[in-house]
Amino acid sequence: MSAGVTIWRCVSCRTGFFPERLLCARCHGDKFETDTVTEGTVEEISVIRHMLGQENWQPRRIASVRTSDGQGITVGLRDESGPGAIIELFQEEQAPFGRAKAK
Amino acid sequence: MFRNAAIIGVGQSAYTRRPEPGQTVLHFMRDAVVAALKDAQLSAADIQGFAVASFSLAPDAAIDLAWKLGLSLRWIMQDTTGGSSAMNMLGHALRGVEAGAAETILVLGGDATGLAGYAKVAANFNTVTQKHLAPLGHGGPNGVYALVANRQMKQYRLQKSDYGHIAVAQREWAAKNPYAVYRTPLTMDEYLAAPMVADPLSRYDCVPVIAGAQAMIVANPGRAPKGRPGVRVRAHRGSFNYDNQEGDGLATGISTFATDLWRDAHVQPGDIDLASIYDDYPTMVLAQANDLGLIPDNDLGRFCRVNIGEKRFPVNTWGGMLSAGQPGGFAGGLNGITEAVLQLQHRAGERQVKGAKLAVATGYGMTMYRYGGTAAAAILERVE
Repeated sequence: MSAGVTIWRCVSCRTGFFPERLLCARCHGDKFETDTVTEGTVEEISVIRHMLGQENWQPRRIASVRTSDGQGITVGLRDESGPGAIIELFQEEQAPFGRAKAK
Repeated sequence: MFRNAAIIGVGQSAYTRRPEPGQTVLHFMRDAVVAALKDAQLSAADIQGFAVASFSLAPDAAIDLAWKLGLSLRWIMQDTTGGSSAMNMLGHALRGVEAGAAETILVLGGDATGLAGYAKVAANFNTVTQKHLAPLGHGGPNGVYALVANRQMKQYRLQKSDYGHIAVAQREWAAKNPYAVYRTPLTMDEYLAAPMVADPLSRYDCVPVIAGAQAMIVANPGRAPKGRPGVRVRAHRGSFNYDNQEGDGLATGISTFATDLWRDAHVQPGDIDLASIYDDYPTMVLAQANDLGLIPDNDLGRFCRVNIGEKRFPVNTWGGMLSAGQPGGFAGGLNGITEAVLQLQHRAGERQVKGAKLAVATGYGMTMYRYGGTAAAAILERVE
C-alpha cells in the first residue's frame, strides 16, 4: 500500500490524467510525468453484493471520486464514507482505494 | 440514405441460459447463419462478404469462421466495439455493398461464454479494468453502471420504480417472443423486491448472460425475397471515445451525432413507431433515448411512467436483453436490429406494432473505465 494515487501529468499543458494516456487529451502532447493525488471527494457509492462466478462473496463498497486535481476515478472504499465525504486516497499495486481522512 | 443496400434477411439461434456440454458459440453461430440464409432465400455460396463479432471466438478470428462456414469472400471484418458492434458492422456492411466491395454481406454476432467465462471477460475487459478496477472487486459492468445509475437518479430525480417500468414492460414484450429466455410476467412488486446486486441495481436491472447468436444479410434491395417489404436504412452514425471518459456517462456518444442522424434521415423523433435501444441496463436505455431526443423535455421519470409504463411508445419489443438475454453485447445488439426489421416487415407475430413504418435502433458498449465509449444508431424504414 502506498499513500496517494499516481496520475500522469502532461508536461506541456500540465493536465493530469488517470488512467495513463499516450497522448494528452487536451493538447496531444506526448510527454508525461507522474504525480500523486492524495485526496478526493466521494460523488457516488455502490455496494457490490453479488459477483458473477463467486461464492461466499463478501460485499464491497466502491465509489466515484473527484480527486483534488479534478480526475474522476473509481476507488474501493475501505470504510463507510458516503457521498460528499472528503477521503484520503491510497493505492495497492495500481488499484486506487480511499477512506475517511484521519482527523 | 442507403439506396443500394438494405437488410434482406435475418435469423437467430436458440437462446439458452446454460449451453449443453460440448455446445460452443460456433454451434449457435451456425444455426443463426442457416436461419438468416433461409430467411433471405440465399445459399452460403451467394455470400461475398462477412462481418463477425464475439467474445467467445478467440483464438479463432473471422477468417477461421469463414473457413468453417465454407464462405469464400471478397470482403471481411471483425468488430470489437462490444454492444455497438452489431450497429457498427451494419454501417460497414451497408457502405461495403453500396461501394461495390461485395454484393451480399453476412453480419454475425454471438457468444457462449457461460457464467464463469463471462466473469473472466468482465475482469479482463481491458488493461485498465485489469489494473485499476478488478482489484477493487468492482463487480464488472454491474458495479460500473451502479455508479452511473446513482448519478442519473440524482440528476433526474428518478425513483427505483421508474427503472422498473422498463423491466416490467420489456418482460411483457418478451412473453410474446418464443426465443426469449425469461418470459414469465414480471410485476412491479417483484421488481422492487428483487435482491440487490450492486446498489441501486437489483436483479432485474442487470442483463442476464446467455448463449446464442444472431445474423442478418445486407445486400442490394433487388436481392430481397419477392413479395416482402424491404427495410431501408435512412441514416446511420457512430461515435467512438466521444469524451475520453471525462464526462459523467449520462450522455452517450449518441449525443454527438443525434442531430446529424435525424437530419440525414429526414425524419424527427416524433415520427418513430418503435425503438430498439441497447439495454444492458435500464439506466443506459434512458441515457440513449434522451440523447436521441425521444424523451420530451428530458423528463426521464415521466418517460418511464407514461411512455413506457402506459405502453404509449414501444421500446425493445423483443423483450430486450433484459428479458430475452444477452448473448454477449454483440448478438444482443444485433437482436435489436433484427427485431426492428421484423416489425417493419410486419412479421413480428403477437408483438407486432400496428402499422410500423419507421424504427430507430442503437448500440452502446465497451465499458472502458467509468462507462461505455462506443455508440452507434440507425433509422430504419419500411419500403413497400
